[in-house]
Amino acid sequence: MDSFRTKLLVAMMLVVSIVAVAVLLFAQRNMARNVRLDFQREFQDELSALHAVQAVRHAALAERCRELARRPRIHAALEDGALDLLYPSARDELHDVMESDDSAVREPGAYTLRARYYRFLDSRGRVIAPPDASDVGELKPAEESQLSVGRLPDRPQTGYILRNAGTTSERVDEVIAMPIVSTENGETIAAIVVGFKPPSLGGGDADAWVQGGVWMGGHLDLRALSAESRAELAGQLGRAVAASGGDEGGFEFHGSDGPLLVSFKRLNPGSLFPPAYEVSVFPLAASISRERRLVWEFVAAGVLLLSGAFVASGFLSRRLSEPVERLAVDSEENREQRHRAEAALATTSQDLQRSARFSADASHQLKTPVTVLRAGLEGLLAGETLGPEARQEVSELVHQTFRLATVIDDLLLLSRMDAGRLQIQFSRLNLSPLLEALLDDLGALPDIFDLEIDADIPPELWITGEKRFAELILQNLLENARKYNHTGGKVQISATEQGDWAVVTIGNTGPAIPESSQAHIFERFHRGVVGENVPGHGIGLNLARELARLHGGDLRLSRSDGDWTEFELRFRLARGTGGGP
Amino acid sequence: MTLTGIRRLSALAGLSALQVTQALGQASVEGKVQLPKSPQAPVMNKRYGIVSYNGVLSPYPPRAVVYLDGAFPRPESPPAATMVQKDLTFVPSVLPVQVGTRVAFPNLDDTYHNIFSYSPAKRFDLGRYRSDERPIPSVLFDVVGMVTVRCDIHEHMRAIILVLDTPHFALTDTEGAYRLDSLPTGHFVLRVWLDSRTTLERPVDLTAAALRADFP
Repeated sequence: MDSFRTKLLVAMMLVVSIVAVAVLLFAQRNMARNVRLDFQREFQDELSALHAVQAVRHAALAERCRELARRPRIHAALEDGALDLLYPSARDELHDVMESDDSAVREPGAYTLRARYYRFLDSRGRVIAPPDASDVGELKPAEESQLSVGRLPDRPQTGYILRNAGTTSERVDEVIAMPIVSTENGETIAAIVVGFKPPSLGGGDADAWVQGGVWMGGHLDLRALSAESRAELAGQLGRAVAASGGDEGGFEFHGSDGPLLVSFKRLNPGSLFPPAYEVSVFPLAASISRERRLVWEFVAAGVLLLSGAFVASGFLSRRLSEPVERLAVDSEENREQRHRAEAALATTSQDLQRSARFSADASHQLKTPVTVLRAGLEGLLAGETLGPEARQEVSELVHQTFRLATVIDDLLLLSRMDAGRLQIQFSRLNLSPLLEALLDDLGALPDIFDLEIDADIPPELWITGEKRFAELILQNLLENARKYNHTGGKVQISATEQGDWAVVTIGNTGPAIPESSQAHIFERFHRGVVGENVPGHGIGLNLARELARLHGGDLRLSRSDGDWTEFELRFRLARGTGGGP
Repeated sequence: MTLTGIRRLSALAGLSALQVTQALGQASVEGKVQLPKSPQAPVMNKRYGIVSYNGVLSPYPPRAVVYLDGAFPRPESPPAATMVQKDLTFVPSVLPVQVGTRVAFPNLDDTYHNIFSYSPAKRFDLGRYRSDERPIPSVLFDVVGMVTVRCDIHEHMRAIILVLDTPHFALTDTEGAYRLDSLPTGHFVLRVWLDSRTTLERPVDLTAAALRADFP
């Protein structure tokens, strides 16, 4: 029974484990996705916030440039033929705009709003050379040439130029080109280009969550990355920008600095300057470690859950298995009882079969010597050698052989019935002439009791049955009525139709059967206590009832009290009232 | 100051030049100049109450200056002219003067102005001053040429002082009509200044009879 509990426990654990693992896996997958989405959302939020700040900054810078482009002295220098006064005037005008060492220290917040350098473009978009570069911010020739856009812009333009190309301090600057419109005729006559420190996400702080930089023409200015990673990312950005076709995109980058989430966005859409892209990188390491931690948390939760489930399953399986085990014990007992009963039944059946076979064999074995015996006795009777006394005794012996033959026949019949080999050949049978004949035979017998025979038999009474067995039943009953009678007694026979039945009652005078014996008179080899001096062998009534029942009818003792005993025999009525069989 | 006042002032400026030349002759020229279309839509600037577009000032419709080119004797005493700053504009916006004229720049506004010019014909910077500045700042224009006058504080303020080597000049009206009187007879070139880049000219034979000269 322990195996049942173990099996139950294993099955429960299996189900619980599968469900728990499935749920945990699903939850973990879900959580991991949420974590990643959260990270991306945070990243996007951070970016949006920074973009908003940058937009304000850019608007402020553009407004500064626009203001500069309207300065009357600059207009005067450009429009009134005083180019020699252009840069000197601008120096005064831009004095508070330009970076200076001390201002950077004093107000770091305003630092990003300060210009690093400026140049004017002439009516053909070329740089007007400044007389003294130190006043306007030094630029290398290659850098200065990037300020020229080939033609004058009619709208403000944002551009990015590469500084210190090819060196370790390579960086990208942001420039704003602002057209200068003639006060006389509204035509664009020149432009001012002002260079600023580029916008930087994370503010150059290496520990900042999101790092930003600028990518332009294969060059990446992103101070937070190592040179190796930077070069690698720059190449990948080039491919991504070409592949995206649009102005923005993103990808995951696995460089020497660990996995990064990279997002790029065109900084100067529609600008005359070469396209530049803002690059934001977000280290995925934090996200990955968060995800990993999440996995471990889930594993721990799973282990806890499963051990809890194990304990619960053990408890439950014990609780559940107890009644089942009891049931199993009960059913085991039941089975044993059944086995015993079956064995007993088999034994009984075998005994029955054996006895049936025995009686059949005995009948056959006995009939032959009885016949031989009778023939011998009749031979003696036929001879002249016997005296009258001896002759009387031999005659009695011959009579006894008939009795013996009858007993043997009855036993044979019974054994056939017990073996189930007796088949009734049903047919329509008129009971009335059969009864008449039997009564005639009864009357012909030597009557020692001087009996009165009273018969009430209808002219026709059709039953279904086999004639010889019906005859045997009636014969037995009539014989008993005669045998268990007394002098001057009476035998009464009546036959009637009652519903589907033909009912024959045979009553006789004589001592009643004691109540204690009434229940046993139909048992085989039972003999009434009264019949010690009456010939019989105790199988007549048994045989009669068995035969009646085989006919679908019955035989019962309907009355036995005082001086009257009555049996009731039932046969099935034959349908219809046609002629004889 | 009302528009009438401005007209009177500009008439005064022209009159002083005419008075000098009146005695010189009886010839006269009149005609009509096809004025260039104003490049600006006349939109009122709410802040300044003037018309501005792309930072270009156009308080008044464009007018042309018609003058007779030639060698004429310089006046003995330097003539004077006035260009006022009123309602954040220069009045008049175009002022022809004979070389050697001293132009005064009175500030009639309640605010500071800073008149300056980077033009090669006359570079000057009067600095900031208010209406109570005395003496009224003035500049002597002693070189022939076009001088663009601006205010350093008000970027839209811009005026032209056309310094001419002749006493015979006139400002057209807003329709382009002009009339030059008391001109000497003889062969001259009549020029029309339209803007900083456009000057038209035609030779004229001036006689006692009135001449009609239209541009173009």
